[in-house]
Amino acid sequence: MNLELIAYGAFFLTMALTYAIIALGLNVQWGQTGLFNVGIAGFVAIGAYTSALLTTPDDPNRFGGFDLPIFVGWIGGAITASIASFLIGALTIRLRADYLAIATFGVAVVVQLAALNLEPLTGGPFGVGFIPRPFAELAGNPLAFGLLNLAVLSLVVGSTYLLLERLARSPWGRVLRSVREDEQAALALGKNATKFRLQAFALGGGIMGLAGATQAHFIGFIAPENYLPILTFQVWAMLIVGGSGNNRGAILGAVLVWGIWAASAGIVSAIVPPEQQARAAALQIVMIGVALCAILLVRPRGILGEERMISRHLGKLRTPSPTANSSADRKA
Amino acid sequence: MAGGGDIMLSTGALVAGYERDLPIVRGVDFSVRRGELVVVLGPNGAGKSTFVKAIAGLVPIHSGAVMLDGSDVTAVPTHQKVRHGLAFVPQTENIFATLSIHDNLLVAAQILPKDRRARRVADLYAMFPDLAVKPARRAGALSGGQRQMLAVARALIVEPSVLILDEPSAGLSPKIVFEVFERLKAINATGVTIILVEQNVKAALAIADRAVILVEGQLRHEGKAAGLMDDPLIAELYLGARPHKDAHR
Amino acid sequence: MNPQALMDGLVAGSMIGLGAVGITLTYSILRFANFAHGELISSGAYFALLVASALGALFGGMSTPIGPFSFGWAVPVAAVVAFALNGALALLIDWLLFGRLRRQSATIIIMVMASFGAALTLRSLLEFIFTSSPAYYSRSLQIANSLGGGIRATPDQLLSLLVAAILVVAIHILLTRTAIGRSMRAVSENPQLAGVVGIEVRQVIRVVWLLGAGLAAVAGVTAGVLVQIRPQMGFDLLLPLFAAAILGGIGSVPGAMLAGLIVGLSEAIAVQLVGAEWRAAIAFVILVAVLLFRPQGLFGRAE
Repeated sequence: MNLELIAYGAFFLTMALTYAIIALGLNVQWGQTGLFNVGIAGFVAIGAYTSALLTTPDDPNRFGGFDLPIFVGWIGGAITASIASFLIGALTIRLRADYLAIATFGVAVVVQLAALNLEPLTGGPFGVGFIPRPFAELAGNPLAFGLLNLAVLSLVVGSTYLLLERLARSPWGRVLRSVREDEQAALALGKNATKFRLQAFALGGGIMGLAGATQAHFIGFIAPENYLPILTFQVWAMLIVGGSGNNRGAILGAVLVWGIWAASAGIVSAIVPPEQQARAAALQIVMIGVALCAILLVRPRGILGEERMISRHLGKLRTPSPTANSSADRKA
Repeated sequence: MAGGGDIMLSTGALVAGYERDLPIVRGVDFSVRRGELVVVLGPNGAGKSTFVKAIAGLVPIHSGAVMLDGSDVTAVPTHQKVRHGLAFVPQTENIFATLSIHDNLLVAAQILPKDRRARRVADLYAMFPDLAVKPARRAGALSGGQRQMLAVARALIVEPSVLILDEPSAGLSPKIVFEVFERLKAINATGVTIILVEQNVKAALAIADRAVILVEGQLRHEGKAAGLMDDPLIAELYLGARPHKDAHR
Repeated sequence: MNPQALMDGLVAGSMIGLGAVGITLTYSILRFANFAHGELISSGAYFALLVASALGALFGGMSTPIGPFSFGWAVPVAAVVAFALNGALALLIDWLLFGRLRRQSATIIIMVMASFGAALTLRSLLEFIFTSSPAYYSRSLQIANSLGGGIRATPDQLLSLLVAAILVVAIHILLTRTAIGRSMRAVSENPQLAGVVGIEVRQVIRVVWLLGAGLAAVAGVTAGVLVQIRPQMGFDLLLPLFAAAILGGIGSVPGAMLAGLIVGLSEAIAVQLVGAEWRAAIAFVILVAVLLFRPQGLFGRAE
């Protein structure tokens, strides 16, 4: 009984950690660079499908798989997602801030479409099964299997975290922050500012791809419906709740939001009659959506907030705000 | 200097700035009499522009008051100020470049009663015949001097009692500056009170009745425009600090 | 090439155009890409469904099809009511969310994110209330009439083209010939200067929400009449809408309509070549091409 609980706990945490990796990737793009990605699900899917293609045993019904070692698949997933991010970034980063958002939204739509329709590559609506799971030989012992997987994921999250922390403190990270916070600095850097942003966007996308790959191998099966816009939304909620600009916040937010999500899903399936479950699931999304908007309004810096203070007035773009003019509306 | 009932516009202990903890205008007592043309001088970063923007309602006022013709307009929102007779011409982006010349005038005339709009637009065309040549032209296609004229015409359409201009000479050639300033002098002669923020000290003092000098957000000097050019304070503030007075922008 | 594809593309394009006009208006005044605009299309369609059902239940005669069309008077009346209700919904969202963010001087991208949150909330709310199964204004089937040249169209389709054309002309006249239209163009270019010349920016923002959401409602009703009503319908249109708004040039109403037709026609033609399952990718290809070669759009000004 207790062992089952530990096994479930390990499963839950492992799943949450895969989200933590996505949130870390998003934090590079948004928290550190201020680039808005509405197509997270697409980049995660690219990583997942690439890794699945590389590591699954040969399947006569589709292209591949290539039966390569798992870690090769993970690296491959990260690289492919990174290239995709680079391309979409190169297209839009020099344009209006929200064109990147629209373009990444398009990426998610197209990846979803490709996953559904490119059957020879993706297995179509049925997805890809038999993705090798780490320590699959221990599957008979759920506790050991669960704990070892948790250890692997912790290792991935830990090393990604350390890498990102080092990067944030490196000259590269400092330039990124100044580019984000100070329009003048960005202008002074000119072309270089675009280059730095692009590097950060590609890095973040690559991390999302890695996350998708690890998730695919942990579950062992992927299908297009795993990568709907709701995934993008969840990850955003995770980063915003935890505190954008803060890597520990990204991890904390992932565990927290995934916990709330899993718990509320559990409650819904326990108390709502089966024929009403689809509706209840919709209500679940409504509540998370309202919560996200509320956090944006009330506590835009999240639970942990950003590690360093950023100045409030720099980098702000002109929005019509007629009431900001009179002193009465200015909050002390 | 403060003289009784004919004060047109005044500020009392005005503190203003974009950030509450970082006031740029720091306690300015200032007044203009009806029909006066006052120039606000001062080195770069002295807060001249912020000062007039605060009066126009574009920069938050932290404390102090702005009085216009006897009534307190401190908390009046920007778009209402022009209805109180206060017209403002910003330094840059002071016309709607994507709108036609005619639409620039019409959009400003909208706050007038319907029956007066066409009349006032016609009046302004008579006053600025250059603008009447091709009224359907995109305002963005105008030359620097013409843009400034359009901006002034746009501000005058509502027959303001006070006209505030933020560096109208910026970016214009000396010849055009002369023309613009002559025009301002003529407008002032019709009874419009004018507050002029300027870097072009010489040209501004030539048309102004009075000058005030702002330094680090506070009033440093106030007096007749005539003769100020030879004042050592001007030399200290401008010649000492920055030899190229038009290096700004 | 199947000439029928042109007709289908034109009809789909006019719907995309109507939605894109709404997006381009709100984008140019509010200065952010509103991801919830697709959901306003869906909510408008459902508002009209509620009103039309109520009217049909109260006055049976209103469900009887008018002349050659598939629907009774209940639907056009409901569309007008939905225009207003959807506008009110947009104002409510602005009051709850975007207005507050504007007062906090939130960055553009925070607004985009909030609109993304609002979109998912609204879509899921519609799914909760109406379930994800499709609904219809009318069950009666229509026969497509031949227009010659191998092109056939139903009376509903022809009417939708007419409605789109009338609305776009009306909006264009509103923007270029009226005081509120001039104010909208002024705020779109420079909200601060607009305030200086006496325009109340908040008022203009309210009008823009009303108009944008109203047009979205009409697009939703049209899509509902021609196809079906689903909570996802607006979301599925979002990428074509953005592609059309950007292709037309942000802020340009005729541009958005023309670009909507281009996107609709491209989709219809491409579907003939690569298959219907790739329809959604066409808008993305157009979007990428525009961003690559002419990011300011057909009628936009370069920044």
